Amino acid sequence: MTLSFLSVSALQAHHVLGRPSYSLGEDSNTPPSMQVETQIGNYYVTYMAFPAFPKANEQGRVNIYASRIDNGVPFDGEVTFKVRNDSWFASKEEVLGVQKIDDNVYRQGFVFKNDGNFIITAEFESDGEPYQIDFPLRIGEPSSMGPIGITVGVLILVLISVNVLQRKRRFQLKARREHRA
Amino acid sequence: MTHPGLPETWLWIVLLAMLIAVLQVYIRQPGTSHLGGFIPVEKIPVVGRIAVLFSRSPWPLIIFKFISVSLFLMVIAAGLFGTPIAERNLATTLTWTIWWSGLIVTVFFLGSAWCAVCPWDTIASWLVKHRLWKRADASSSLGLRMPKMWRNIWPALIMFVGLTWLELGVGVTTSPYATAILALVMVVLATSYMAVFEGKPFCKHVCPVGRTVGFYSQLSMVELRPRQSEICADCKTLACYHGTKEIEPCPTHLVMGTLIQSTYCTSCSACTMSCPDQNIGWRVRSPASEAIQHARPHWDEAWFMLGLLGLTTFHGITMMEFWEKGLSSFAQIIGDSGQLIWSFSLGMAIVFILPVLLYAVLIKLTQSLILESISFKKLFSTLAFISLPLAFVYHIAHNLNHLIRESRGFTGVLLNPLGRDALPYSSSELHMRHMNPLISEQLLYALQAGLMIFGFWLALQILQRRTLDVLTHQTSLRRHFMLPGMVFIISITLFNLWLLAQPMTMRM
Repeated sequence: MTLSFLSVSALQAHHVLGRPSYSLGEDSNTPPSMQVETQIGNYYVTYMAFPAFPKANEQGRVNIYASRIDNGVPFDGEVTFKVRNDSWFASKEEVLGVQKIDDNVYRQGFVFKNDGNFIITAEFESDGEPYQIDFPLRIGEPSSMGPIGITVGVLILVLISVNVLQRKRRFQLKARREHRA
Repeated sequence: MTHPGLPETWLWIVLLAMLIAVLQVYIRQPGTSHLGGFIPVEKIPVVGRIAVLFSRSPWPLIIFKFISVSLFLMVIAAGLFGTPIAERNLATTLTWTIWWSGLIVTVFFLGSAWCAVCPWDTIASWLVKHRLWKRADASSSLGLRMPKMWRNIWPALIMFVGLTWLELGVGVTTSPYATAILALVMVVLATSYMAVFEGKPFCKHVCPVGRTVGFYSQLSMVELRPRQSEICADCKTLACYHGTKEIEPCPTHLVMGTLIQSTYCTSCSACTMSCPDQNIGWRVRSPASEAIQHARPHWDEAWFMLGLLGLTTFHGITMMEFWEKGLSSFAQIIGDSGQLIWSFSLGMAIVFILPVLLYAVLIKLTQSLILESISFKKLFSTLAFISLPLAFVYHIAHNLNHLIRESRGFTGVLLNPLGRDALPYSSSELHMRHMNPLISEQLLYALQAGLMIFGFWLALQILQRRTLDVLTHQTSLRRHFMLPGMVFIISITLFNLWLLAQPMTMRM
């Protein structure tokens, strides 16, 4: 499993730490996966979600692979997986499970009932230091009308404001002319 | 996967050419360079006819604007509703691999032509003015004059730094969704500026793309100028500046009769259509005659040009293996984690500031070498033009790698712009794309090496001419006055050449 992680990373293009990228495994019959590479404290952490585009009421899995930056030794301990809604006002966090290392990887299965954007938090402790990393997980199609709605809203607001101000100006000008006359 | 760097043979060729160029500057009498004449584009077969068509009628431009806006709307739709797999989505491939990489190349041949069909400005114009092309009612915009303190390009520089930060630090280039959001934000900004202020202050003072294109167009082989200066001298209407009943005035307030630099020209064709004598037209010129001689130095513009230099080099650095390793070590030192945004931002600031600092020190040295009293600010602004060709050639050489090696497979994206059911590249697809660039590798290397030589030579020409310009008639140009400038040009060229010789990480 470790090898498959490494080969996938080597194929990646210019990835940006902490941002999702998508790739096929060496065996292209398997569905694509989403992965995020990141760094925290003394560890490089790779997070993978299978499938890359999970849907509600379908089984999925996240894998975490953590290795020390200085010597590449994988972290051997326990990782707690938690989940919360990725919204400004969400505070409720649920524990998905606590996983032990299996072939250098920590695997956590999941089934979500609803579509949405979620944050998976992986927590572990090493050398007495607590580590906590957040990763994104999207279930189903995202809602994309938000940005369009906001853009249209702002544009309408700007254009209407300009229109109102122009009318006001015209009335003032007209009033001034009439006053002079 | 990485792209191979420029082979050693080509490096030696460039180094040899650099040596010859330096010797030429030293041997030749200062101020004797000849910038050549002009050829009206109308006199060139086929191209001339096309140019006339664009100058006389608004419709060809309107058609191109429609195409550009349609593609732009597709980018937004693909970004918001399409696959998040960057290489399969039109938003990321068209925006970052094709447009952003190819745009800089087009500037050399077409100047600021992109600005004429820019979808941000086109949509803003349609929304605010409610016209396809004719002059709008004055009440469509508040028409306020841009406050004097904002009439500079500091906002454009800040936007350019911000765009680079978003592109390389936050990773907008690999996120179709973020690319679409960025596109929407630009439309909102362009529309708001147009609705509030007169003309197109967004294009002139804020747009990072417009200003980049504007400055690079000083090095373009074409320019929009009066055909006969006498006609402009006798002009009583100034239709280019004021517009006519039907045609908009110049949106960036340029008077064609006195125009000597293309930096703020948006190629909108208003002047070519409004001129009652049809005296405005495109002409082919000696590339860079503007940067060498005509363009006027300004403090904010000097900073923008140096910013361009720093940020283009930074682009190259972030695609090197050592950058990621360095970033990782730096993050450990400062305790940064996750996306390493703090480490990235600090690294970016350092790379941005270093060439400016080197330049400032060398300008101070030049100031002490020149025997007459010239202010630091004047020297800094005047000689900053040397950074323009250095940034431009490296920018193109770097972008050629992306364009030629990563644009394969774009037809597939055009056929499925949202990338519905598309899978990420398999290892064999990546390998095939990598092994089959659009042109042969040797030709790519030749182009990159040629560009580096051209930029170096141009920078030396600018240095010589501009140093001569800052001197009063009492002081003749001595060759050692140019030494600090030469050190700057050589250092930057050598560093950029070294970057080009390194394997470069694929963008997507």
